[in-house]
Amino acid sequence: MGNDGAANIVIDGSGALADALRAAEICVERPTTIVVTRIATDAKSFDSLTDADFDDAWERPMQEAIESFQAAHRARHERLIALVPTIGMSGAAGLAHVAATAEAVRVMVKSAARQWGADGMTVNCIALAPELFGIDPAAVGAVSIAPLALAGKGSVADDVVPLIRMVASADAHHMTGATLNADGGLWMTS
Amino acid sequence: MSSSSGRLDGRTAIVTGAGQGVGEGIARRLAAAGANIVVAARRADTGEPVAAAIRAAGGSAVCIETDVSSRESVEACVGSTVERFGSLQIMVHNAFRGGIPHRLEQADLDKHWSHMSRTGVWAVMYCGQAAWPHLRASGASGRFIILTSPSGIEGSANIPLYSPVKAAERAMAKSLAREWGSSGVTVNCIGPVASSPALVTAFERTPTLKGAIEARTPLGRVGDPEADIGSVALFLASDDAAFVTGQTIICDGGSFLGL
Repeated sequence: MGNDGAANIVIDGSGALADALRAAEICVERPTTIVVTRIATDAKSFDSLTDADFDDAWERPMQEAIESFQAAHRARHERLIALVPTIGMSGAAGLAHVAATAEAVRVMVKSAARQWGADGMTVNCIALAPELFGIDPAAVGAVSIAPLALAGKGSVADDVVPLIRMVASADAHHMTGATLNADGGLWMTS
Repeated sequence: MSSSSGRLDGRTAIVTGAGQGVGEGIARRLAAAGANIVVAARRADTGEPVAAAIRAAGGSAVCIETDVSSRESVEACVGSTVERFGSLQIMVHNAFRGGIPHRLEQADLDKHWSHMSRTGVWAVMYCGQAAWPHLRASGASGRFIILTSPSGIEGSANIPLYSPVKAAERAMAKSLAREWGSSGVTVNCIGPVASSPALVTAFERTPTLKGAIEARTPLGRVGDPEADIGSVALFLASDDAAFVTGQTIICDGGSFLGL
């Protein structure tokens, strides 16, 4: 495998976060796939969820994520990094269908790490502020019992890209199955 | 009937997947505590003997054939339950299909994913939605208990796509605990490792597995569905756990100590 910076990275996903990551033209040391989990953004009470809502928020994003993981393995990338919002760990009123997907991808990272470590691949997760996925902060207001330790959602260029570079570096060769929380302190329990 | 008889007197519980294994153990334990039990099983030929055994022991139970992957079937089960017993306080979602060992890079969505997604995550939605009006009407006695797994926290090297399904159930429980908290209804998960037909099959497939589990388990054994897992379900269903919500109780003899 080569080591020619931006050519070594695949940003797999759609939406504003994926677009921002592509625009950042991230240079990484090791061949890397970034899986930007597709996250539905509409808060909806649990009792009003329809099968169509659930298909859109759970089934299709999960099938896409599974296929993205498989594609990264086929590409023999050395690093797979999944991006999710932290609401999967915390839960969120009105977002049960969305939290399910976020947490499922986060734990699928651990399963993949267990199986693919022998293939020379590390698999990790970076958990970000929900706003970076387009979720209205008001919808997750009930999650935290305290104000954000750091104000704001964080910047893709200043806060997310450096984390990706670190996980995709040679220095992180022994780190796998981990979750790095970078949500400004919204959720402090892993 | 056990010494716990009376803690759930006058309450009604649906236990999905109660025709065998952990579900059966929970159904028997809740029945011994006085609850009316609906054994919601995919096939009456497995569910009815469990209901009959509960009745023979002096309890109150019926079997209702239920496919948890079908919204209509779950709604029919809840409707019949309320018609029969007048109310519903406790919904226990335990039923699950799938869990075939696989390599993640070779996983086939139809073969290795769909059954688990439908009977796990989709069924949480169906069971929760159908039960919700009745749980809300029960206020502080309302309980939604979801059977998940330690794999939903730590991942699985053997059945990698099992883990995300069980993780999703935990996330839904936390979200519902937040969403339903003002009503007094609690939502919790149990992560068991206990004897079940699926585990027996796994032991037969991998002869060293039972010894390996026992060796890594501080209590040195696999759990009993009724005595070990049913007792935790009884606690969560009882008034003793009225202030416990959004939690996962891992009940595996100490095998997983990572929370």
